[in-house]
Amino acid sequence: MKGIVFNTLEQVVVAHYGETAWENLLDAAGSSGVYTSLGTYPDDEMMRLVTAASEALDMPPAEVVRWFGRQAIPRFAQRYPDFFTTHESTRTFVLDLNAIIHPEVRKIYTGAQCPTFDFREADDGALLIGYRSPRQLCALAHGFIEGTADYYREQVEVEHLMCMHRGDEHCLMRMTTH
Amino acid sequence: MSITSEPDDPVDLNRLQRRLERERAARLEMETVYEKGLRELYLREQELRVLQDISTATNLSPSVRDTFHHALGRLCEYMAWPLGHAYFVETHDGATRLKSTTLWHVQDPEKMEPFRAATEALDLAVGEGLPGMVCQSGKAIWLPDVDSKTFFVRKASAAASGIRAGCAFPVLIGEETAAVIEFYTERSVAPDTALLKLIGQVGTHLGRAIERQRAENRLIHDASHDPLTALPNRSLFLDRLNQVIARGKRNPQILFAVLFIDLDRFKIINDSLGHFAGDDLLTQVGHRLQNALRGDDTIAANHAAAHTGTLARLGGDEFTVLLSDIKDPSDAVRVANRLGEALRHPFVVDGQEIYTSASIGIASSTSGYETAEAILRDADIAMYRAKTLGKARCELFDQDMYAAALQRLALETNLRRAIQNEEFVLHYQPIISLRTQTVVGFEALVRWRKPDGELVYPDEFIKITEETGLILALGHWVLREACRTASALQTQYPRENPLTMSVNISPRQFAQPDLVEQIRSTLRETGLDPHGLRLEITESVTIDDPNRVASVLAELKELGVRMSIDDFGTGYSSLSYLHSLPLDALKIDQSFVAKMGKDAESLHIIQTIMGLANNLGLEIIAEGAEIACQVTKLQSMGCEFIQGFYFSKPVDATAIAALLANPIRQMDSKGSTEC
Repeated sequence: MKGIVFNTLEQVVVAHYGETAWENLLDAAGSSGVYTSLGTYPDDEMMRLVTAASEALDMPPAEVVRWFGRQAIPRFAQRYPDFFTTHESTRTFVLDLNAIIHPEVRKIYTGAQCPTFDFREADDGALLIGYRSPRQLCALAHGFIEGTADYYREQVEVEHLMCMHRGDEHCLMRMTTH
Repeated sequence: MSITSEPDDPVDLNRLQRRLERERAARLEMETVYEKGLRELYLREQELRVLQDISTATNLSPSVRDTFHHALGRLCEYMAWPLGHAYFVETHDGATRLKSTTLWHVQDPEKMEPFRAATEALDLAVGEGLPGMVCQSGKAIWLPDVDSKTFFVRKASAAASGIRAGCAFPVLIGEETAAVIEFYTERSVAPDTALLKLIGQVGTHLGRAIERQRAENRLIHDASHDPLTALPNRSLFLDRLNQVIARGKRNPQILFAVLFIDLDRFKIINDSLGHFAGDDLLTQVGHRLQNALRGDDTIAANHAAAHTGTLARLGGDEFTVLLSDIKDPSDAVRVANRLGEALRHPFVVDGQEIYTSASIGIASSTSGYETAEAILRDADIAMYRAKTLGKARCELFDQDMYAAALQRLALETNLRRAIQNEEFVLHYQPIISLRTQTVVGFEALVRWRKPDGELVYPDEFIKITEETGLILALGHWVLREACRTASALQTQYPRENPLTMSVNISPRQFAQPDLVEQIRSTLRETGLDPHGLRLEITESVTIDDPNRVASVLAELKELGVRMSIDDFGTGYSSLSYLHSLPLDALKIDQSFVAKMGKDAESLHIIQTIMGLANNLGLEIIAEGAEIACQVTKLQSMGCEFIQGFYFSKPVDATAIAALLANPIRQMDSKGSTEC
């Protein structure tokens, strides 16, 4: 996993719970805490940080990940404003993931393993988002979508119709904008 | 405040906190710098890869279309745009148009169908539509929104296919726009400088591909066309002929014919006026033949296909025509006559008027041919017959010609060997002075003694040696041999007026640029006094290039060699300029002498020639005097020099001594002039 994710996690944790909280998390996870955005670090290390946070906050790991995703977006928007300013809604932003955003991510972070999305429109106009990734971080995607909705000041609801964590072959989320 | 404050001091903790934040910010900034650098590096690398891919494909792919197709696909992939298309710029009759090609890269064919159909229907002038604008300016145009430009003519179909933005690029060869490529996408996209530059470079590669293809086409054209006349050459002609023969096997009802055209006297024109003049003449002849063939309405009227004639230049002065669709062999004869007619007017070469004509042989598919070589060979044989029958005419091939041609070919082969093996001998016929009653000289006459002992006379072989150029070697041998004999005779039989030797010089010999030098060195080599040599040329030699003839004769005169016109009265000569040539004698052709007793006209001709000779101060030598009355008559008319059987047949060198030892044959004292 790319260092940018660890760095952002650090920023989010420090912002909400202070420096000490992050130090505690690192201690609990047995991590050095030396991350640069461009480096690649073991996925397992992120899992350990998530687990430590889950225990410290008494929150299921998926919830931690989702919360992190939501909080990460404002930081991404600050760091990479062009991706956000060219859109006016969560929906168009999400639809551009495969075509624009992930290719751009790969331009900077060589070897980044971005998930693959597929999109379909439901009969009622809701967006059906298929998610495939060996990391099974659908909760992160969920959090990102919520964070993006916050950015565009929209109300969205994301429902996991299918989930790899429930034994499905891939995840399917249903996004409704209110 | 101390710099070395303890960390548990709250003030210092704040400072540490600030330092941590600074460090973090510095790290973020550094990461941003790196990320920017990495992104650029990535882009550069991708661009290079695209360029390299396209450049490699350009070098490997066999055709311009493949190259374009690959480049369109690769660029679409790189830009992540769903549609790319190419136009070729074509110029016909001075009008430049942009034609849509079937070269596409389309990601979602079904969705793009309306736009694709509208595009393929385009046939744009320069300046018309997006590609036309690019063609006109030679510069790329980027449309963030195709709907916003009035010159974009495909708005409706673009909307139907969901197209928003587009860009188009010129494919340049130097200043020339050879093609235009365009790309479209469904999102509005602002102009991208890096992309513009990249596609510009791709355009250069594509331009090179077109340039290379053009060079290849030129090579192919050059390999199949004659560089001098730009007509199809032998290999292309044979290709077309083979196709027609193959068609004939499937469909024998469609007749075809081959015309073999050979210019009359071209070799002499070429030898005497030089190769540049010869080339100029050939080019002009090519033009006239081509125009005559195109303008032929005989065939056009009979058949829907007007352009059924292929004119080619096989080499030298040989042209061929393939008439691939005729109704009847007489069509071919009509075309041949028309072609011959086209050459009737004089050509101006080097400021001089030159007359030429063509002997044309025709072979038609009615004779049934399996190979191109066979029909071409028979047309050639028929051409040869046309030439033999007096030139400037055409002949249709028949089987008798084939037999004659085989004979001629065998003769040619034997003659080549004969020259190598020196199978030739000279015989000498004395020339008698009636005034002094003595032999004044000899004419050297060549004979071919075949290995089996048979003696062959020149009328059977000189013509073919002249046609094949063998005459040059043979003539040189004759000259040397005759001079050697004459030199020996002069030593052995010294006279006040030394014995002379007459030697015939053929038209092709005369046309040799180094003729004078050859004669000079032969005289030197054999030790013959130039005054003892008399060269005989025919009238035809004198009309080809009057200026050159005059200057060559003047040089020979200067050398001391004497010149005669042989067979005078049988050919065409311009009496008006005869007087300007430095000649010494006219030889009256034996045909007039032979008929002078029975035919008043011949007698008048002889009288005229003698009058002419007297006026010009030339000697007269009468040839072919066989009987006494001819000699007496000629003598009474004032002719001093006689050559003929009456005095002596041509004899071999060993018999000369006897001839000179005995007095010449005396005429009947009554001297009847009535034969």
